Amino acid sequence: MISLLDFSLIFMVLAFIPCIYRVIMGPTIPDRVVALDAMTTVIIVMLGAYSYDKGSAFFMDVALVLAVISFVGTVTISKYLDEGVVL
Amino acid sequence: MSEVSIFSMIMNLLSDIVLLIGLTFVFLGMLGLIRLPDVYNRLHTTAKIGTVGAFGVMLSILMRAGFTPIGVKAIAVGLFLLLTAPIAAHMITRAAHRHGVGLCKESVIDEYGKACERCKK
Amino acid sequence: MKRYIPLAAIFGVIWCFVHGTFSLNSFIFGLLLGLLTIRPFRFLYRPETNFRLFSPSNRIISIIRYFMVLIKEIIKANIVVAKIVTRPKININPGIIAVPIRCKTDLGITGIANTITLTPGTITVDISDDHSVLYVHCIDASDPAAVCASIRDDLEKYVLEAFE
Repeated sequence: MISLLDFSLIFMVLAFIPCIYRVIMGPTIPDRVVALDAMTTVIIVMLGAYSYDKGSAFFMDVALVLAVISFVGTVTISKYLDEGVVL
Repeated sequence: MSEVSIFSMIMNLLSDIVLLIGLTFVFLGMLGLIRLPDVYNRLHTTAKIGTVGAFGVMLSILMRAGFTPIGVKAIAVGLFLLLTAPIAAHMITRAAHRHGVGLCKESVIDEYGKACERCKK
Repeated sequence: MKRYIPLAAIFGVIWCFVHGTFSLNSFIFGLLLGLLTIRPFRFLYRPETNFRLFSPSNRIISIIRYFMVLIKEIIKANIVVAKIVTRPKININPGIIAVPIRCKTDLGITGIANTITLTPGTITVDISDDHSVLYVHCIDASDPAAVCASIRDDLEKYVLEAFE
């Protein structure tokens, strides 16, 4: 019997494959940025499911920090593409 | 059977349903990343479906764990994703358009490009 | 310093969420951390553009109605885009269209832009220099007038009621 955690992790690994394809094959830089952002969402979902199953809140901290860093990174790269400078 | 166990059973069932819906939405979002033609259309799937799917998963964790540290942190992550996804999508589209990424060949209209050219003249 | 107390209270609530426990101790700790954080960045808080989120008018009801509409539109958006993705042959005609808006304040414009991004098939790209036209990427732009009308009638009415 496959548990719900195993099912969700397998499903998320399947969802990971298009992101990796788009990061490698993406024709333009914004494509790759979008794919990396989506990859972070998938990792956050994985961390959430794993954290609930293990009953440990530390993985949820990791997910929170990953969400913050993903947002800041996306904004930084798009600002660099837009204006050529970061700050 | 006491009322508490019936309540927790219904809550577990609801959280299973929300978890499956969320996982399906995340998977469909990533599928759209590979199927749609250009960067603007890909953002439609990742910024909307992916984010709301992640929020659904976090909501199901909150339903199961209650107001323990895990549940509260999960809903904080979900709300943060829901709050920042539109801003990130807006910044990437603007940067892509100014960086020179054209729209795909199926596009029918581009009033923003016309407005930009008018500004440059 | 007294002006920053409400902002620091918001920081306290955020700290409660991040710490995972709703208690007076964590709220006060977050409030002190918020004051320490606001101090070096106080040049970012301009008093003349102070948003009045919690104004004591009868605006609470329209804010609640706005969030109900927002949740309904988000669910509709997911179903629409999921249908487009799962269709065997993708047949779309996307495009960027100009949508005139009536909101004047910064908070109203931010609200309408983020609402447009979370609703079916539209993403905000940019705003014109005189803050009167939003450029919206639409996944089905074969009829621009209908998109403009749906944004004006379904979304902007509630945003105007709630935030202006």
